[in-house]
Amino acid sequence: MNALEVKDLSKSFGKLKAVDKVSFNVPEGSIFGLIGRNGAGKTTTIRMMMNIYLPDEGEVLLKGVKVGQEFKNRVGYLPEERGLYKKMKVLDTIMYFANLKGKSGKDVQKKAEEYLKKFELYDRRLSKIEDLSKGNQQKVQFIATVLHSPDFIILDEPFSGLDPVNTNLLKDIILELKREGKVIIFSTHLMEFAEKLCDHICMIDKGKVILQGSLSEIKSRFAKRNVSITHQGDVSFLNEVQFVEKVEYFGNSIGVKLKAESDSDNLLKLLIEKGVKIKKFDANDISLHEIFLQLAGNELEEKERSGGFYV
Amino acid sequence: MFNYRVLAVLKRELKEKLFSKAFIAMTLLVPGLIVVFGGVQALLYSTDSKNLAFDFVIEKSELIGRFQNEFAESKFVKDQGYQFNYLSMTRNEFQNHLESKKEDLLQEKITGIYYVPNSALADKKIEYYSKSPQNISLNRELDGPINKVLLEYYFNNKSLSVDELKFARRGVDFTGFKVAKDEEISEAGYGNLVLAYAFTFLLYMSLLMMGQMTMQSVIEEKGSKIVEVILSSVSPRELMTGKILGASITGGAQMGVWLLTIITVSSSALLALPKEITLNVKPELAVFIIVNFFIGLIIFTGLFATLGSIFDNPQDASSGSLPLMMLIIIPFFIALSMMENPNKPYAEIASLVPFASIIVMPARMSLIEVPIWQQVFAMGLNIATIFLIFPIAGKIYSVGVLWTGKKPKWSEVVKWLKLKN
Repeated sequence: MNALEVKDLSKSFGKLKAVDKVSFNVPEGSIFGLIGRNGAGKTTTIRMMMNIYLPDEGEVLLKGVKVGQEFKNRVGYLPEERGLYKKMKVLDTIMYFANLKGKSGKDVQKKAEEYLKKFELYDRRLSKIEDLSKGNQQKVQFIATVLHSPDFIILDEPFSGLDPVNTNLLKDIILELKREGKVIIFSTHLMEFAEKLCDHICMIDKGKVILQGSLSEIKSRFAKRNVSITHQGDVSFLNEVQFVEKVEYFGNSIGVKLKAESDSDNLLKLLIEKGVKIKKFDANDISLHEIFLQLAGNELEEKERSGGFYV
Repeated sequence: MFNYRVLAVLKRELKEKLFSKAFIAMTLLVPGLIVVFGGVQALLYSTDSKNLAFDFVIEKSELIGRFQNEFAESKFVKDQGYQFNYLSMTRNEFQNHLESKKEDLLQEKITGIYYVPNSALADKKIEYYSKSPQNISLNRELDGPINKVLLEYYFNNKSLSVDELKFARRGVDFTGFKVAKDEEISEAGYGNLVLAYAFTFLLYMSLLMMGQMTMQSVIEEKGSKIVEVILSSVSPRELMTGKILGASITGGAQMGVWLLTIITVSSSALLALPKEITLNVKPELAVFIIVNFFIGLIIFTGLFATLGSIFDNPQDASSGSLPLMMLIIIPFFIALSMMENPNKPYAEIASLVPFASIIVMPARMSLIEVPIWQQVFAMGLNIATIFLIFPIAGKIYSVGVLWTGKKPKWSEVVKWLKLKN
């Protein structure tokens, strides 16, 4: 059962076609990853889902009905570009965002305080936002996103700028929210996170969907003839090996695309012969990163923006 | 349009603006400043020079007694202790005298030397020698008594009675009578003129201040990227409505405080105002002023908010806001110039034109009787302006608040109107 259906969304800014006929379905109870490089069209797509932009074409359906204000009330949205009122106090800020969603009263305040305790911010509830560290400000923003118990949580690049401890904390909370049955949609250009957290993904590049489906299905589809190796030692000779089609280097690990699936045994033998120390050898495995590179090419450098909207 | 989301935005705006320490201080400070400035000005005027010494040289010796008598009665001798050394000299003797006193003049042992030649009896031209001869207040003080002596001497031989002389000496004294349709002709004081001045000034200040404040707050929301979080809950138009209402209520409250101060001060026994400057504010005028002011606030805070949405830093915005500020500043000057003569044709036109009428009409109304149709016309036109510009302003705002990066060109802003957003 799909919780949300995105149908043929398109949006142009002048000559730039930011989103071009994007369609995908977000299943109930899933963590859905909208992935793609910077400037691929993720934020514009999310903004159209949030009704912040009206699409030039297409529609977003919530259980078959076009989304509107009712959907907005059921969504918690953490945009990529984050900001808070600097002079406002922490608790006031959180309560203000709850008020905007139509939630107020003592129960909501109690819940806000619980969240603040969870994020170790309770002592700072009467501090001004500007007196908080950047990481703490992000935590406040996250609380404001989920305080009104939304059914849908849309997180645009939620991990950017977080330290490892807070990244883990946020990851745990996302998984907890999933267990509570919430639908979580998050966009990221960091494939490792998408790989660890998502059940379903939609990959966007240059405004178009280039891949979508359940992560396990996609991985098994792309993993054939692919071997992931974690190793120590020089493996540069692999480029010259006849049965190897392509090698992708990721620091301590490599992804090798073979010409035939049956060559994986030969590859293992060859590595041992050459004295490479193998820590992990995973035949028929591929990282999302590799899939992305295969599909979107190698131009991962950030697209320069001279002015305009985030797309 | 008005719902709990707008209410939440409105509440925050009021909390932020109306109850901020800076705003309360500003609201209370302005009347305080007006009193302080008034006081300083009065103090400066009241501290006239004292104990100045002059040589008063008259060619015609028989006039000495008359000048002595006349000056002895004057305020500058009685209260300020000016001293006059009366002398009689011919032109040649005076030249030598002047030469001999040059040092004293330069060292300011004496302030100045007056010379009344015989020719002054015909042309009233008096010479004044001093280190600083351009002393307007001194000239003003001596003008009357000297004129009186010369005049009396002139008519002395012309067999005029004392009464006839008195008449000749008198200036013209205008007494203004205000003719209004539905009341008896009454003597009009300067009270309403003072009120018109004060009110025009406050209106101007308040519109500029609230406009700028709203613009800054939109820029802050845009610059700090908070606007997208808010837009995930409310629509841009709801946000804009909340902000404009917040600013308008804040401005209204501020004006209320200011007006109450003026009315309380002017009607209290603390300041026993002379009859000429008592206020004559009719209830209709008060109602018009309040409603008109609120309309003005909505129009201008709306326009300033729209402008703020186009730019993402205060520098760009302040240069961009100049044309908008002109819509407030030019009517302000028209209103000021109108105080001299409320019947100037351009004042009448400005009091009917949208934007300008917000400032000019109330000033005009407090000075003269403005036909009802003009009042209704001006207000109606301003309300129509709201309905005309707000769909456009709302559209620009909706696109603008999410625009980032380089400063958009005006041609791009026009294109935003065609965007679907």
